[in-house]
Amino acid sequence: MNQCEEIRNQIAFYLDDELEGGDRTEFDEHLRACETCREIFERERRFFESIRDCSPLYAAPPELRARVEQILSAAPSPHATPAKLLHRIQRSLRLPGSRFTGFLNPRTVAALLAAFLLIGWGLIEYMKTRPSPPSQFAMMAVATHQRHLREQLPLEIGSDVPERISNWFAGKVPFSVKLPNYQESSGQEKLYRLEGARLVGYNNGYAAYVAYLMQKRPISLVVTSEATAKPSGGEEIVSKGLTFHYDSIQGLKVITWSDRGLTYALVSDLEERGQQSCMVCHQGTKDQDFIESLKPKQTANGPSP
Amino acid sequence: MIEAGNRNTPFSQAALEHIDALYGFAMALTRNQTEAEDLVQETYLRAVRAFGRLMPDSNLKSWLFAIMRNAWLNQLRHDRSGPRFVEIDEEESGRSQWLDHQSNDPHVVYLRKLERDEVKAAIDCLPRFQREIVLLRDIEGFSYQQIASILGCPAGTVMSRLGRAREKLRRLLTEWRTGNANRAARAKEA
Repeated sequence: MNQCEEIRNQIAFYLDDELEGGDRTEFDEHLRACETCREIFERERRFFESIRDCSPLYAAPPELRARVEQILSAAPSPHATPAKLLHRIQRSLRLPGSRFTGFLNPRTVAALLAAFLLIGWGLIEYMKTRPSPPSQFAMMAVATHQRHLREQLPLEIGSDVPERISNWFAGKVPFSVKLPNYQESSGQEKLYRLEGARLVGYNNGYAAYVAYLMQKRPISLVVTSEATAKPSGGEEIVSKGLTFHYDSIQGLKVITWSDRGLTYALVSDLEERGQQSCMVCHQGTKDQDFIESLKPKQTANGPSP
Repeated sequence: MIEAGNRNTPFSQAALEHIDALYGFAMALTRNQTEAEDLVQETYLRAVRAFGRLMPDSNLKSWLFAIMRNAWLNQLRHDRSGPRFVEIDEEESGRSQWLDHQSNDPHVVYLRKLERDEVKAAIDCLPRFQREIVLLRDIEGFSYQQIASILGCPAGTVMSRLGRAREKLRRLLTEWRTGNANRAARAKEA
């Protein structure tokens, strides 16, 4: 089997995101060099996209949704302790001579409390010195950014009109996405370009993914509800009443924060902390101090990490 | 810890988010709205009962899909008058004829021009096992491994079944488009 045949046999695996590592690199390299395979690949990609564009195939009828909501609210919690067992435990704890009473004598309780306090203090000291790991949401945003760059996540809507993108998300995610239209309304020079958007799976639901380009450098914005993801980890920077978490993951700069019920992640390979990526929402001169506040502070030893 | 039993708990909220996807899967399995609705309800009832067995790092969506498929298989086993495990080519050709007949209707002809509707109809025409695998991979985005665990078959079977399903889908769409083009050409000549 020649290389072209091998590559063509792998197109479905590639488009299904099931080709990894060296195989994927080899595939990309061959496609760059072989025009015929590239054409076949493009045809396949369009065919796959035409199927995937049909999602969702159906919407559950409202009556069914209501019945399911009833099932979920009326059913007993599987984690609730059965009443009989609960009663037996309570009775055992009250009865003298019960095998549980040994735990309840004051000396045992005092010893346990002391042990817990000691362990708690040790943990707090350990957490203070330990670098805080990035949040799961930040990791997902970085992975999404990388997959988009590898063309594994084609945009579901391509547009540079913020309002179109905002409207596209309506009904697809359980929160409202309103992309600012700052460039157009301010009349300033366009420093970035909105490319498009798509949905990305996160935590058994969908997050909104928006792709931008700033001087040919990609910026990814991922948005979900604050109930689904809370920013944490990394370096904390407080600015204008918001707490930003800055991380550097696999060479990419990630800023995550929550505001008015939504959690955001901005991923880029821009300089310093990637704070210039914030321009996709804050471009005016009045916001310059806000962007500056995210810059690393200059010290005698140079910029902080 | 996640708790079920109240629609405001994380489990209930998360489970409810998949209702459209589950209904779509139920429609792919049953092809009947009433049966699909019953299957969705049965799935949620089973999920609430079995929630305690769900591992904390499990994927809730694929777990719900696996419950639905098992519930459907049970129904098939217990319901002799229900659908059978036969290849659905007769069913499929019947559906194709229906579409051909409908395509005389100018409104349907117009709709068929819209690629999305056409692809949806083509998915609907696939035999049941092919339809479910296209739905799981291309509509719901499950990985081969997740599909294998939902269907209870090896990942290799998922790949080959998916390949055959897409081939059939491609053939159906080509036939329809060629048919439409021929009809349009004949109409122009007339």
